Amino acid sequence: MGEIVAATALSHAPGLTGWLDRATQETQRALTEGYREIGRLLRAARPDVIIGIANDHLLNFPPSNVPDFCVGTAARWSGPAEWFRDWLNVAPYELPGHPDLAHALVREGARAGVNFAFATDLLFDDNWSVPLAFLTPAHDVPLVPIHMNCVVPPLPAPARCIEVGRVIGEIVRRHRPPGERVAIMATGGLSHDPGGPKYFAVDEAFDRWFLDLLAQGSSERVLREVTLERMAAAGDGGTTELLAWLVALGAVGDRPARTVCYEPAAALRCGMGAVVWPTEAAARG
Amino acid sequence: MSIHDTDRTLASNRMIFEIRRDMAKVQRFRDDLEGCMAAYGLTEAERQAWRALDIRALAALGVHPYFLPQISRLFEGAGYNHNASPAARLYAAKMGVAEP
Repeated sequence: MGEIVAATALSHAPGLTGWLDRATQETQRALTEGYREIGRLLRAARPDVIIGIANDHLLNFPPSNVPDFCVGTAARWSGPAEWFRDWLNVAPYELPGHPDLAHALVREGARAGVNFAFATDLLFDDNWSVPLAFLTPAHDVPLVPIHMNCVVPPLPAPARCIEVGRVIGEIVRRHRPPGERVAIMATGGLSHDPGGPKYFAVDEAFDRWFLDLLAQGSSERVLREVTLERMAAAGDGGTTELLAWLVALGAVGDRPARTVCYEPAAALRCGMGAVVWPTEAAARG
Repeated sequence: MSIHDTDRTLASNRMIFEIRRDMAKVQRFRDDLEGCMAAYGLTEAERQAWRALDIRALAALGVHPYFLPQISRLFEGAGYNHNASPAARLYAAKMGVAEP
């Protein structure tokens, strides 16, 4: 059996790498230190592989064919896709994939009622390029990217996202080789509205409410309170990326998330935040 | 405007989707907007909106909101895309959204 040895969820807004100098000094410091802390925690957990969950920004799936969840099964990944390089200010990078784990997710997911699409040719934009630049800047930890649909209605419901996360966690724990060390990394959110009426705004009250809710460690409570409508009210073009965080919550189980940093960064057009969940390994000390 | 106003069948959505995946197509778009629009079979209403760089009209026709700022970047460049950048200003002006 494998083990989830680290779990985090964090914003991936392009401004973090693209124009952070336009934010206040305090925001620059808090985010840089916070993301570096998560990088230290993640690497200290010595993961063999990271399972990433994030929105596909209409980059890989055409409007005619949008899967709810697609597992990247390639042995090697590269990013950022060329059009996004200037925007993100991230140099081209490569990193290993993990086809064996990726195939297991698809195979065992089907048995557990999750119809994962899969692909070897996924393009990366801010979804992975921004967080990885801070968390694993050497790009030396294999990644299984799961691209999900957070912005093309109808979206997978919050309950479905937690269920899919629960299935991912079960596959790691029941169907993976003994000693396999897996990190969970959800990216996206918090409040933002790319292309919508709140494009230049951040909903700090929503963000803090959401982070406080995760700190209570109850997926039941999250399901009662975090509706698609509530997320959309905080910016419907992007805030529903927090569905990826719910997948991570499902994989981790009912544990309180600790907020590592939060900044209502209007200069980055995004409520920027990051949490970590204590894992079984951490609980054992 | 909302993601729920998107018309997934709108030819402009397919055009933007494909352009961003291939820098050769970005260049073709910049060199020959008319040819590009014809190749993707845009309606006359869509073509008029693109010619006028009328992002608000494209939104009303059903272009996905996520694509709208990207349209501004196709025309003004994507680098250093802060709130006062040419692309962000173009988006704000065309959409009538207040800049911070």
